[in-house]
Amino acid sequence: MTPIIEMRRIDKHFGAVHALRGVNLHLMPGEILGLVGDNSAGKSTLMKVLTGAYQRDAGEVLIDGKTTHFTSPQDSRDLGIEMIYQDFALCGNMDVGQNIFLGRWPRRAGLFVNRTRMYAEAQDVLMRLKVDVNSVFQKVESLSGGRQQSVAIARAISFSPRVIIFDEPTANLSVMATERLLETMAELKRQEVAQIIISHRLTDIFAVGDRVMVLKRGQAVGDRYIRSSSEREVLELIISGTPDDALTAEQALQGAA
Amino acid sequence: MSFTTDARITAAIRPRLPMQLVGGWEVGILLFMAVLYGVGAWINPGFFGTTDALSAVLRDTARYGVMAVGMAFVIVNKELDLSVGSTLGLAATVFSILYDQYHYDLAVGWAIFGALVVGLLVGLINGVLVTRLNVPAFIATLTMLFIGRGIVLGLTGGQTVSYGDKAAHDHWFFGIGETNAFGFNSQIPIFLVVAAIGVVALAKTRAGYQTYAVGGNAQAAGYAGIATRRVRMRSYLLAALTATLAGLMNVAQDKGITSQVGQSAELIVIAAVIVGGASIAGGRGRVLGACLGAALVVLIDKVLREGVPITHIVDVAGVKMSVQSYAQLPGGAVQAFLGAILLAAVLIEPWAIRGGGAARIWARLRGQPAPPPPDLGEAAIAGTQMRGSASEARAVAARGLRAFLARRDSAAVVLTVLLWLVGMALRPDFWGSLDNTFTLLLAFTEIALVATGLTFVIANGDIDLSVGSVLAFSGAAAAYLMKEMSVAPLTAAVLAMAGGIACGVLNGWVTVRFRIPAFVTTLGMFYIARGFAAWLVAGRQLSGFPASFNVIGRNLYEVLDAFGIAPSGGWLLALTQALYAQTLFMGLVALIAGIVLARTTFGQKVYAVGGNERAARYAGINTSAVRVWALVFSAACASAAGVIYVAYLRSFNPSAGMGRELDCISAVIIGGGSVFGGYGTVVGALAGGAVITLIRALLSLQVLLPNGKSFVMPQHWMNVLIGLILIGAVVGDIWLRQEQILSRLFKRRARGTP
Repeated sequence: MTPIIEMRRIDKHFGAVHALRGVNLHLMPGEILGLVGDNSAGKSTLMKVLTGAYQRDAGEVLIDGKTTHFTSPQDSRDLGIEMIYQDFALCGNMDVGQNIFLGRWPRRAGLFVNRTRMYAEAQDVLMRLKVDVNSVFQKVESLSGGRQQSVAIARAISFSPRVIIFDEPTANLSVMATERLLETMAELKRQEVAQIIISHRLTDIFAVGDRVMVLKRGQAVGDRYIRSSSEREVLELIISGTPDDALTAEQALQGAA
Repeated sequence: MSFTTDARITAAIRPRLPMQLVGGWEVGILLFMAVLYGVGAWINPGFFGTTDALSAVLRDTARYGVMAVGMAFVIVNKELDLSVGSTLGLAATVFSILYDQYHYDLAVGWAIFGALVVGLLVGLINGVLVTRLNVPAFIATLTMLFIGRGIVLGLTGGQTVSYGDKAAHDHWFFGIGETNAFGFNSQIPIFLVVAAIGVVALAKTRAGYQTYAVGGNAQAAGYAGIATRRVRMRSYLLAALTATLAGLMNVAQDKGITSQVGQSAELIVIAAVIVGGASIAGGRGRVLGACLGAALVVLIDKVLREGVPITHIVDVAGVKMSVQSYAQLPGGAVQAFLGAILLAAVLIEPWAIRGGGAARIWARLRGQPAPPPPDLGEAAIAGTQMRGSASEARAVAARGLRAFLARRDSAAVVLTVLLWLVGMALRPDFWGSLDNTFTLLLAFTEIALVATGLTFVIANGDIDLSVGSVLAFSGAAAAYLMKEMSVAPLTAAVLAMAGGIACGVLNGWVTVRFRIPAFVTTLGMFYIARGFAAWLVAGRQLSGFPASFNVIGRNLYEVLDAFGIAPSGGWLLALTQALYAQTLFMGLVALIAGIVLARTTFGQKVYAVGGNERAARYAGINTSAVRVWALVFSAACASAAGVIYVAYLRSFNPSAGMGRELDCISAVIIGGGSVFGGYGTVVGALAGGAVITLIRALLSLQVLLPNGKSFVMPQHWMNVLIGLILIGAVVGDIWLRQEQILSRLFKRRARGTP
């Protein structure tokens, strides 16, 4: 089976800082991958290289086995990769429907916004996601953080993506909202959407994830299958893992067997 | 805990002043000044060759330098104070009014005290508006600029105040403005003392470090326990204090004032600080650089202003005579040039230093491959800027009247009706008449047209401070083209529009290409366009245009009459006489603009960019293009208003559009726009424009008092009131619509906490 995303030996410098050193990553269709590590481990940088927000210095990014050269997040979106940012990247002054179709509002007569269609389709997307947002006419700035995130996810879903990247999705959420978000992630998985979750909270990743990958100072120090690992093992990797004794999830599975 | 100082640290922090200066920006300024002075001496040895010139440059530098010290604190703090010129004028005026024997005739000490009180009051108001009420600095201080100028006009009645005789008795104070026994002007040592205090305070004290911290990252500074509001407030007080001091130096030197005292001083001062190496983005800048920058800008100003002696040969009745005269730049040209310098200086930091532009050019010059532009961190996670507002949530379910009242632009509509009723109550004999209605409509047209364009810019999260100046520029261009170059009316109108639109293109290009805040770019254009307008009309009588041009500014009856199809009577006659061609034009523009903003995808893009530019960019919207288009449209509306202005008045007055930016920004904000972007409708802007028009009309209304007398408010005070209204509208928007301050206040009351 071809991985939907494969990143090989990615290198990225910011001036004198070597932010990523030969990082490999792969993601299978429908898989939920947790990306963990300390601050400045390179998690966000790796994802920005993937989406094309940053340009890599060396290495390859393959989508469906084909090499790509994204120059902006728009390019990766065209191939079905969506990223949900920590601050959701929504326009607070606009309503839910307008935000879901931000930048590609359906048109009538080539010029005017087709409001009827926009709100009807926005409603559809929200239904598909099974989230509760009172009304598609509500201004986003009047929604709570969790609901704003639902709008951001609905927006991502409306592109019919194959991969969604969540950047610290639970950082700003209440406990209740986190529960709802995890349900949404599971729902997305049922709809065959692969996900990468950047998070500090191992609990969340162990609740919904299939696999977890650990970065440390710009290098991969191993990945593990959730079902055969423990939070404690991953925590040890985060703290004391080295790239030299890094095991892939398969190797770790075989080693345990 | 003991502090043992490491020898290496001592070595590292030991002052290395000469080397530091050689590599620094300041030396560059000094060298440039030397070259410039040489150029001045070469083209005009009669002036720059003498020591008089040097002392004149130093004397003027002293006043601007003193203000630059205060402004350095403001700009390092990531703030801006556009009101220093007005503060200077206000301090000088208050001093003069109190001191002058034909006004209050007080002792010089009391006059100084009065000037200080008023100056500090201005600083306090600026500080409170910006730091406590969260009004954007450029709006608050621009309004203060106009209010200050209005008060100066009101106090002096537009007249010169002069007290040379009385001043002779108070030599201890007025000696400051004169050459002392050592042969130089006493203002120079005052400047040196202020500069020295400023250098030490900003570079060596805790207060100075706090200033850098707040300017670099106010949030981090706040977390570190720095009272950021107090630090910012302090910088406004300092700016006002130094401006007051400069005002006192001014009256000491001139022993009198004109009503223009201190006009556009803020341009020189801000340009000086930026040229001196400070960043408009805050956190960087030095007092020494600001002082040298002041000297440089004053020198440039002098070089431009001093004429070049030239000799022409005049043929008088067959006898050739050589005539000596001065070739001088007209006054407006200097202002335009200084505005351009301000813009160029602002670009130094983001383009040459941060953007690596200088390095790229250097590499190209040496024939080496240019280093790539740095990653701008497009996807950097910015802080969330979401404001919860419960009223919006309630508005979703509302229907009918409640839905209307929940709209942000409803207040302006209601206000329009109320104000009209007030006028009706005050002057029932006159207010409702057809005549007055025409006058109101006509006054409304210009504001409404400019405000329509400005709505796009404000909804976009930008601002256009140059609309009044662009109006003047295109008006002047149309008049100049027709009168001096005999261009056909239609061509002249088109060319004038094109000139105005070019201003908008420049505004937009600089703003998006160099990531300069729009208020800075358009502030530069504010001076440049007005300078060019003054330049075009300098010393010329621009009136008496072709009749076919004037038609643009006539009422419909005259327009139809020109085509020979005028109605002869009935209601059609009254209607055509009431409606002006310009009002119809404005209505058409507003209708199209309103539909575009509210119903098309372009309008949605405008709101998206204004709401969250980063999100809009991720969504694939070309945010730069949207912002440029909005600024261009705003300039187009302003220049159309300029052409109409000339056609209506049949002449050009250099004060065209002066202060219009205030009216029009007020109109958009009153009409539901937000200075932070994302909101604003054309309907709202029109209603806001109507509110401003009605307020102006009401203020100039001759009110009949019960005792049979009548009362008219002096026109000099008009700008003061309009300024107060703008501040009121912005504060109202921030505190009522966005922060929900009233409902929070009530909630707090209900909880019983203080």
